[in-house]
Amino acid sequence: MRNLLNFLARFSNLIFFLFLEGIAVYLLATGNHYHNARIGNSVRGITRGLESRISNGRSYLNLQEVNEKLLAENVALRNRMERMIPDFNPGFSSFTDTIFNQKYNYTASEVVNNSVNRQKNFFTLNKGYRHGIKVDMAVTSQFGVAGVIVGCSENYSIAMSLINVDFKLSTRIRANGYFGSLSWDGHDYRYAVLSEIPQHVVVNLGDTIEATGYSAIFPEGTLVGTVSEYEKVGGDFYKIRVALSTDFKKLHYVDIIGSLKKTEELDLEKLFK
Amino acid sequence: MINRTIKLSLLFVLLMLFQVLVFNNIQFSGFVNPYIYLLFILLLPFEIPGWLLLLISFLTGLIVDFFSLSPGMHAFATVFAGFMRPNILRIISPRDGYEPGSGPSMQTYGFRWFFIYAAFIVLIHHAALFYIEVFRFQDFFRTMLRVIMSSVFSLSFILLFEYYRKGK
Repeated sequence: MRNLLNFLARFSNLIFFLFLEGIAVYLLATGNHYHNARIGNSVRGITRGLESRISNGRSYLNLQEVNEKLLAENVALRNRMERMIPDFNPGFSSFTDTIFNQKYNYTASEVVNNSVNRQKNFFTLNKGYRHGIKVDMAVTSQFGVAGVIVGCSENYSIAMSLINVDFKLSTRIRANGYFGSLSWDGHDYRYAVLSEIPQHVVVNLGDTIEATGYSAIFPEGTLVGTVSEYEKVGGDFYKIRVALSTDFKKLHYVDIIGSLKKTEELDLEKLFK
Repeated sequence: MINRTIKLSLLFVLLMLFQVLVFNNIQFSGFVNPYIYLLFILLLPFEIPGWLLLLISFLTGLIVDFFSLSPGMHAFATVFAGFMRPNILRIISPRDGYEPGSGPSMQTYGFRWFFIYAAFIVLIHHAALFYIEVFRFQDFFRTMLRVIMSSVFSLSFILLFEYYRKGK
């Protein structure tokens, strides 16, 4: 007994060290991305509040640039609207069913916390389930795909960034329609890797890569990036390096996109599984 | 003694604010993020009991974790650094030992000594942090590059901070 006590006294620091490391590893192992949304509003509330404040301050510094982009986007949208409004037939009054053909619902949001230097990058948005945000909604910047919502609290939500090694996205080459799976290799935040494109397909540098819409998360045709480099790996597939169109280091204003017909689509697909 | 505790607590708050508000937002070339909160672990007094050192390291890491959405990562690395601290202090102790009642500061033991001391701890901490983050040996050398680059930046900021503290 005394020997045991002596032993414990001698190695108490080591034991305590191992104990604390055990807790840390446990947190690490259980704390996947869902953890962040669930961690409890007490601590989250404090840190989030602080982060919004920082983000508020920072958005002032970017106002000029943001304004310019908004202007450009406004012009583009206005042009598009002009083309769509039929200016003939003024005699009929038309009945508009606003969601008859609408497939997606957009919510503008602001990034309040972001990272690009980890293997598993997430960003936090200042809209939560109070604003109709749900898990599995798509997040895009004005340049293209940004991420997917993985957790929501009342006023905030957390999105898995495209530059997260766990992120997979079904994408295709716009020029010829061949699709493959896009993921991030954890190296450079400006590039991702598109695989599963067969080698008989002609790939050109600068080809546009877009989302397929197969996942019912991203609208079909959402821009992802352009081909910056490709090589043949093994006997079957290309390894294509894609320069991402979204600059994740400058991510600030984003749209959260909910698909209105996703449940319908998934339910139908479930019938045939 | 009490005076010193208050001073250290103030330093802790200051470093945490700096880390969370400023340094967590610095990401040089998408690679490097300096972690200056380690300076607090560096400056704890010599005679601090081992368990307290470990506990403080753990809590410090946990707080940083809360602010950077990385559960357990910083806690793991900081506890590791805290565990190694007494060993490193023993290895690099000056010939006539440490003066009782003094902390391991640049003011007392000079730039050279503090540089070596800080470099050891920062390297250990960053190695633990980045390898636990990647959690595979596939990109071993790439991760090592990240460790070294981040360590250089963290160390520069820590030395700068300590130099300024010394000047006051």
